Amino acid sequence: MGAHGSGTARRWTESLKRIADVRAPLGRAYFDRRTFLDAVLAVGFVSTAAAMAYPVSRFLVPPANAEPATATAVAGKAAALKPNSGLLFRFGNKPGIVVRTADGDVRAFSAVCTHLDCTVQFKTDTSQLWCACHNGTYDLGGNVVSGPPPRALEKFIVNLRGEPGDEEIVVSHA
Amino acid sequence: MVQQLVDWVDERVDLSGLRHFIAEKGVPIHTQKIWYYLGGMTMFLLAVQIFTGILLLLYYRPSATEAYESVQFIVTRVPFGWLIRNVHSWSANLLMATAFAHFFSVFLLKSYRKPRELTWLTGILLLFLMLGFGFSGYLLPWNEVSFFATKVGTGIAGAVPIGGKFLLRLLRGGDDVTGATLSRFYGLHVAVLPAITTALVALHLLLVQRQGMSVPLSVARKVKAGEPLRQMPFFPNYVLRDVLTWYVAIAIIAALAAFYPWELGKKADPFAAVPPGIRPEWYFLAMFHTLKLLPSHVLGLEGEQLGVVGFGIAALILVLVPFLDRRSNRGESSPVFTALAVLGLTYLVTFTIIGHYAK
Amino acid sequence: MFLVAALLLSARTAAAQTAATPNSCRTCHASLAEARLATPAEVFSQKDIHRESGFGCVDCHGGDQTAADKARAHDAGRGFKGAPSGQAQIATCARCHSDAELMRRFSPRQRVDQAAEYVTSVHGKRLAAGDTQVATCASCHGAHGIRQVNDAKSPVFPTNVATTCGACHASQTHMGRYTLPGGAPLPTNQLAEYQRSVHYAALTTGNDLSAPTCNDCHGNHGAAPPGVGSVANVCGTCHAIFAQKFATSVHQQIFDKGCVECHSNHAVLKPSDEMLGTGAHTICGTCHSGSGDKGAAAADGMRAAIERLKAGVEQSGSLVARLRNAGMEMSAQELALGTARSQLTLARTEMHASDPARLTPIVDSGLKIIADVDAAGDRAEDELQYRRRGLALSLGAILLVVVGLGLKIRQVDRRSREHHERSRRDSG
Repeated sequence: MGAHGSGTARRWTESLKRIADVRAPLGRAYFDRRTFLDAVLAVGFVSTAAAMAYPVSRFLVPPANAEPATATAVAGKAAALKPNSGLLFRFGNKPGIVVRTADGDVRAFSAVCTHLDCTVQFKTDTSQLWCACHNGTYDLGGNVVSGPPPRALEKFIVNLRGEPGDEEIVVSHA
Repeated sequence: MVQQLVDWVDERVDLSGLRHFIAEKGVPIHTQKIWYYLGGMTMFLLAVQIFTGILLLLYYRPSATEAYESVQFIVTRVPFGWLIRNVHSWSANLLMATAFAHFFSVFLLKSYRKPRELTWLTGILLLFLMLGFGFSGYLLPWNEVSFFATKVGTGIAGAVPIGGKFLLRLLRGGDDVTGATLSRFYGLHVAVLPAITTALVALHLLLVQRQGMSVPLSVARKVKAGEPLRQMPFFPNYVLRDVLTWYVAIAIIAALAAFYPWELGKKADPFAAVPPGIRPEWYFLAMFHTLKLLPSHVLGLEGEQLGVVGFGIAALILVLVPFLDRRSNRGESSPVFTALAVLGLTYLVTFTIIGHYAK
Repeated sequence: MFLVAALLLSARTAAAQTAATPNSCRTCHASLAEARLATPAEVFSQKDIHRESGFGCVDCHGGDQTAADKARAHDAGRGFKGAPSGQAQIATCARCHSDAELMRRFSPRQRVDQAAEYVTSVHGKRLAAGDTQVATCASCHGAHGIRQVNDAKSPVFPTNVATTCGACHASQTHMGRYTLPGGAPLPTNQLAEYQRSVHYAALTTGNDLSAPTCNDCHGNHGAAPPGVGSVANVCGTCHAIFAQKFATSVHQQIFDKGCVECHSNHAVLKPSDEMLGTGAHTICGTCHSGSGDKGAAAADGMRAAIERLKAGVEQSGSLVARLRNAGMEMSAQELALGTARSQLTLARTEMHASDPARLTPIVDSGLKIIADVDAAGDRAEDELQYRRRGLALSLGAILLVVVGLGLKIRQVDRRSREHHERSRRDSG
């Protein structure tokens, strides 16, 4: 059993021969000799198997961001959000805004103004959320204070996740 | 090495039966032998569905709020998720087509005749199960088209006289199509139907292997008259051919997945109006269009009820065909049942086409 | 004798125990045949805020409600005034409604300057000049069956105000004798025009009670058309940003009627980009035209810029939608498109300053976003193409297998045929 290469192949074909070999009229060994065709077929089978196994194996490995982006998003680091400031972030395909009140409370809202869909921003002088398009103003509960917006801003749920001191702000739909 | 492994198993589990089977099994050769491939093709496509289905299971979320987003996630974020999903969607359609082709070839060639009545029975049930798979699976992406198609389809179930309302509630998990329907269809699609299918497929295959391949009546008569039956060895001659057809199928599915990706559609909105021209997938189109064409009242019955009853009767006749067709059981030609098969095929094809082009 | 009768009567009516004091006005007037006299009493006894607050007929009309005969009940000596009209009516209402201390007991939040405002209004001035056809308190609020302003059935509830004003102002017969300051006949189409407007739609179908109706622009008690130069202020009370932008524009000094010149006063319709520019159906084109006109150039320039951005947004929008539907991840691009659409909104606001130079940076930033989105879209298209290339590769491998299998089948068939021949020959 010492040879490599063609010796191994011969033993393989011999083994396969013996499995198929039965004393029946129709049963016969068909791998009489290793042909070029068999080699080509082997290459073909292996490469197609690989071509199928590769995507499947990549599929099984979860992507970096394991949650669908429309359900949850990371808004940034908690330490980076100073009191009385706001930060815009991306929530799926819509903008969101996370604010920290002067008391340190962290809240998050949809940044889509309910009037004509412009993006609101945080105004530090009035501590309100303001829309530059038509001067709509919201308080830090998301409720309309003045201007054309007909409804309050959609509220999101805020959680902190990670090592204490290095948490990230995780925002999810209510 | 392989021989050693085989011997090891043989010492514990007698493999001589298997060896004998591999050597002995032959596949008849005659002009109609091309139809033999359809059964294996159906099985192969079913295997593809199970495989890709299990993969999709790892990421899919069966709730009204998350289903659509999870499919979007699979298709946009998971590596090769688009490939797995598209293969699953396309292969489903090919499976339906192949299953019907297999069914019609068996019907026309009268392979159901004695002693293969049980094979026919399990086969018909499997066909119905495939339709169930198609219907339940179609809802799972939870987009506009699938939501309304399910609403219309389960509404038709409600037209069954005696128990229609109950059946509708049973299917929908309530009075309307909601997240409850999704949960229910998901359970059906990944657990209930696969379990029943596995059992029936095992039985179906066991019967086919035990009884061997059926031959057309003309060939059977010749064999009875003394002519030898030409056969090819199942292994490796026929198996190689089968594998070849499977590879061609893979190529077709892969091409479809890459060139005609399945769309995401719009997320279902239960409160939106039914989009005009809503219709089910093509394999339900003939039935659907027939129901649409029936007048609203026929002989005191509601048109839709009549249609549903009609389909029920047709299904029952189909199941009973081997027991009704006495002539083919005796080995004689049976033109009535040939005509029935041709009629059925013509009806399905015509109404599918009409249903496709109707406004 | 009279005393006995009076005592009996008062005892009887007292025994009847109505909420207020015995009311002979009601009992007598309700039985009258003439509708003009019977109806007010009937209506007053059904739903009326004054009656519910404890007031009676005599509080406005004077007289004696305990008296059973007309002469005594209608005795001028007991304060009977009849049906007050004109200035007398104003005085009757104002007697309570301009009394802060009194009103505080019933409705502390209610204003008490209505009569003072009224005097400054066109109605008030004309009334003072002797015109009795103008509106007075009862014309709008009713006299009997008065409901609170926040009662949806009140003629001065926001959704009903226009119809109330229109009762006179839309009637040619009523307004025919009046003319505008310059002598032109007074129009009566304001109600019809207003009913075409977005404000009316918002109020009636949009359930937005903050949408303006006649009194929001004209004042309610001090009703008068806004003077020249103050229209923009009026519109600007709600449309503040637009008023601010307009205030910086050249038109501020030129337009007599401010916002109204372009947007009309009563038939304020939904604005569209079609109003901008010098082409047909544009508003700017009604004054500006020709190559030498700087304003025309500015209008055309702004319109072109906005159209460019709008077309870009739409095109990119459909590209992104198509790619998203095909299964590509496009949420960042959708977000960016939202921002580009905001730029469009901002541009339409900035346009009111009539200065193309201020519009350009806004439009340009929008176009830049569009360009980035298109680039990302191209990359997504490439990814789709790449998948097809990957497919081609795997198809190549599959083809190899298929061809190989085909040849193998032939080989295997040949062998089994040979074997079959051999075994047949062997068995003789």
